Amino acid sequence: MNNAGSLDGFRVIDFTQGLCGPFCTMQLGDAGAEVIKIEPPAGDFARRMGPPFVGDESAVFLSLNRNKKSVVLDLETASGREAAARLTCGADVIVEDFAPNAAETVGLGYAQLQGANQKLVYCSITPFGEDGALRDAPGSELVVQAMAEYAASLGRIGDPPVRVGADVASLNTGIFAAQAILAALFHRIRTGEGQRVAVSEFGSLLHMRGIMWSSMSDPDDWYGFHLDHYTKPPDYGYQTKNGALYFILRRGNSEDWDRLVMELGMEEVLADPRFGDYGRAATSIGRYATEVKPIWEKAFENRTREELVDLVKSIGGDAVPIMDYPSLLAHPQVAALEAIAEIDHPTAGRLKMVRPVACFSETPESIRLPPPALGQHTEEVLRVTNFAASKSK
Amino acid sequence: MAKILEGIRVFDLTIAAVGPWATKLLGALGADVIKVEAPGGDRLSHMVPPTIKGNSVLYISANHNKRMIELDLKKEADRAIALKIIAHSDVFVQNMRPGAVERLGLGYEVVAKINPRMIYVAASAYGRTGPMAGEAGIDPTVQSFCGWCGITGPKHGRGELFRHLAHLDLTTATTITQAVLQALIARERTGRGQRIEIEMLTAAMALQTTRLAEYFATGTQPAPLGSAAATTAPHQAFICEDQRYLAIGVERDEQWPGFCRALKLGELITDERFATNPLRVKHRDELIPILTERLKTKPAEWWTIRLNQEKVPNGLFLKFEELRNHPQVIANGHIVELNTPHWGQMAVDGLPWKFERTPAGPIRAGGKPGEHTAEVLRDLGIVDDRSVGVSK
Repeated sequence: MNNAGSLDGFRVIDFTQGLCGPFCTMQLGDAGAEVIKIEPPAGDFARRMGPPFVGDESAVFLSLNRNKKSVVLDLETASGREAAARLTCGADVIVEDFAPNAAETVGLGYAQLQGANQKLVYCSITPFGEDGALRDAPGSELVVQAMAEYAASLGRIGDPPVRVGADVASLNTGIFAAQAILAALFHRIRTGEGQRVAVSEFGSLLHMRGIMWSSMSDPDDWYGFHLDHYTKPPDYGYQTKNGALYFILRRGNSEDWDRLVMELGMEEVLADPRFGDYGRAATSIGRYATEVKPIWEKAFENRTREELVDLVKSIGGDAVPIMDYPSLLAHPQVAALEAIAEIDHPTAGRLKMVRPVACFSETPESIRLPPPALGQHTEEVLRVTNFAASKSK
Repeated sequence: MAKILEGIRVFDLTIAAVGPWATKLLGALGADVIKVEAPGGDRLSHMVPPTIKGNSVLYISANHNKRMIELDLKKEADRAIALKIIAHSDVFVQNMRPGAVERLGLGYEVVAKINPRMIYVAASAYGRTGPMAGEAGIDPTVQSFCGWCGITGPKHGRGELFRHLAHLDLTTATTITQAVLQALIARERTGRGQRIEIEMLTAAMALQTTRLAEYFATGTQPAPLGSAAATTAPHQAFICEDQRYLAIGVERDEQWPGFCRALKLGELITDERFATNPLRVKHRDELIPILTERLKTKPAEWWTIRLNQEKVPNGLFLKFEELRNHPQVIANGHIVELNTPHWGQMAVDGLPWKFERTPAGPIRAGGKPGEHTAEVLRDLGIVDDRSVGVSK
C-alpha cells in the first residue's frame, strides 16, 4: 500500500446531488476510494447551478466532483434499477439524499440492500433529521441557515437578513457525513458489521453553534462573544487608510503597550480604563472593543494596513488584513501551503481548486480524476460490473 | 453496546476550541480521551467569557466526553508520566503553535519512537512553512484572512465577519476528527501510525470551495448578496405582510412550477426568461421584484402552508428560545439538555451523526482541570512517584 490513500480499494456508490452529498463523497475520493456517481439522465442538478459556467460546466459542480466517475442511470426504468442493484451489490459504501421514500421505491433502501450485502455502510443525508414533523420537509442552503439562526450573527437588527456567504449548511454537513462513514467503516473492519448511518444539515449547523447554546443556558453575566453576537452591530474589522484589518492584543507586556500607544499617537487612552490590561479589553473579543473601535480607527486613518499589521505583530499581537479572494490567492502563505491544486479538464481547461485539507505522511490524499462529464463512465463501469455479475453466476 | 472507538485512547494536548472540539467528537464515538493540561489550564481556554459558575463556557463546551488530567510537562517527572500515557495511546492531537510541542520534547519523532502506531495530529492556524509559519490564529483573524468576509454582508454592501466566532474553529476541528478516523482505517490495513498536518486556513478555504470556484471561473470577486445565493434563484429571504422574513430556496428546476403555483403566479411557469435555473440567475433583477411584490401581500405563515403543499423549501428565521423548544430539534436531539456535576443543567450541541448499530454518546460533561488525574494513572497502572501530589 505504498503511498496509497487510506480508502484505497473501497468502492462508494454515490446517489447524491447538489452540494452536501457530493462534498462528502469528494472527500472519500480524495482519500483514495473509488467513487461512482450515479446521475439521472438530466444530471446532478448542481450541473445547472450558475452562472458562472466554465465552457458548459457549472463552476460549482466542478468544485465538488473531482475523483469521481459519472454513471447515468434512469432509476424510473426497470433496467436502470437493475443496473443500480448490481452496482450496489459490491459496494462498500452507499451515500444517498433521496426524497422521502424514494430510495425504497427504486429498491435502494437500506433494508432492501442489507440482505445481499451485510458489510454495507449506508449513509443517508436529510435536511432536518429523520424524526419529527419536518423529517420529510425539503431544505435548501439558506432555509437551513435561517432556521439554525445563522443570520442572528450577521447584519443589523431590523435590516434584511444576511446569510453566511459560504455554503456552510451543505459543506459542514458533508464533513459530518464523511466522519460517519469513516467511523462505520472502521467498525466494519474490526467486526465485519456494516450499518446505516445518518446526518442532517439542520443538526449539523446546530451542532456547530453548541458553545452558544450552552452560553445562553445560564450565564453568570450577559457578556462574552458567544452571547453578544445577538446585539452587536456588523463587524467590518478596523478601517485603515487602504482597507480593513483585524487585530488582537494578547501577549504584549507593558513596554509593548506603551510603544504601540506612542507610535499611534494615542496617549490619551492610557488614562482610559477601557484600555486597561494593555489594551486587551479594547480589541477583538474584548469587553469594550465595539465601543472604542472609533478611537482605533481615528489613529489608523493615516496609516496603511501593511504598516499597522507589522506594528501590531512587533508588539506581540496578532493582526491580519481583511482580504478578498484576489488578495488571498495572491498571498505568499497560500502559495507556501500549496493550498490551491490544479488539474486538466477535457472541456473546461485547467481547473483550480482547494486541495484536500489534511496532509497525511503515510497515506496521502490525492487528486486523480477531474470532475466527470455527465455519463462519461457509464459504459466502462457497467461493462465491468456486468462482467463480474456474469462470472459469479 | 460496543462503541465504535472502544479501546482507542487519545492523548489530548489541545487548547482553545480547534483541538478540543476534535477530540470531544472522538470521545463521543467511544474513545478514551485524556486531556492533558498544565496546572491551572491554558489561559486562553479558561479566560474566555461568558462563564457558567465561574468556568468558561468555551472550556466546558469543547471538553465533553473526556477525562481531565494535569501534568507540568516542563518537569521531568511529569513528562515521564506523559510518555507512559503516550505508550498506551493510539492518537495524539495537539494544536499548539508550531514548535511549542517540540520544545516540550513531544514532537512527532519522539512520540513515534515510543509508539510507532501513533496517529499524531498537528493542527495550526497557518501551517509550518511560508512567511506566516508559526503565527497564531484565532477564529476572527482566520475569518479576516481567508476571504470569507468578502462574500458575506448586505447586498453589494460591506463585507462583514460572522459574529459567532467559532465556526472556522469547529470546521477545522471536524476536519481533524475526520482525518483521525481515516488514519485509524489506514492503520488497520498497514499496521502503522502516521503524522497528519492540518491548517485552519486551508480548512477555511475548503469550506468556501463553491464560492472560490466562482472566482476561479470569472476572475471577479463575488459580491455579498445579503440573504441571496449566488448561483441559484430564487433562493433568498422575502419580507411578508407581517414583517417577518421567510427564507425560500428554489435550487432545482423541478421545484420551480410548484413555487409559481404556491405564489399563484402560474404565468411565470411558462415565462421563457425564468425557464431554467441559469436563466433565473441571469434575470434575477427582473424576477425578484415580481416575487417581492407578491410575497408582501400575505403573512409568512400563509406562504409557508402553500409552499409546503408544493414541497418548496422554506423556513422562518428562528432564534435560540424557539430552537431550544422546537419539536424538530427535540425529536432529533439536535440540541440536548445535559445535567453536569459542576455547572448545573445546560443546553448542549447534540451528536451530529446517527449510527443504527453502534450509537454514539451519551454526551458526558468533562470536568475541571486535573479532576481525573489520579483515576487515569490508576487505570493505566502508572505509579505516580512524584513528590507533589496530583489529587485535587
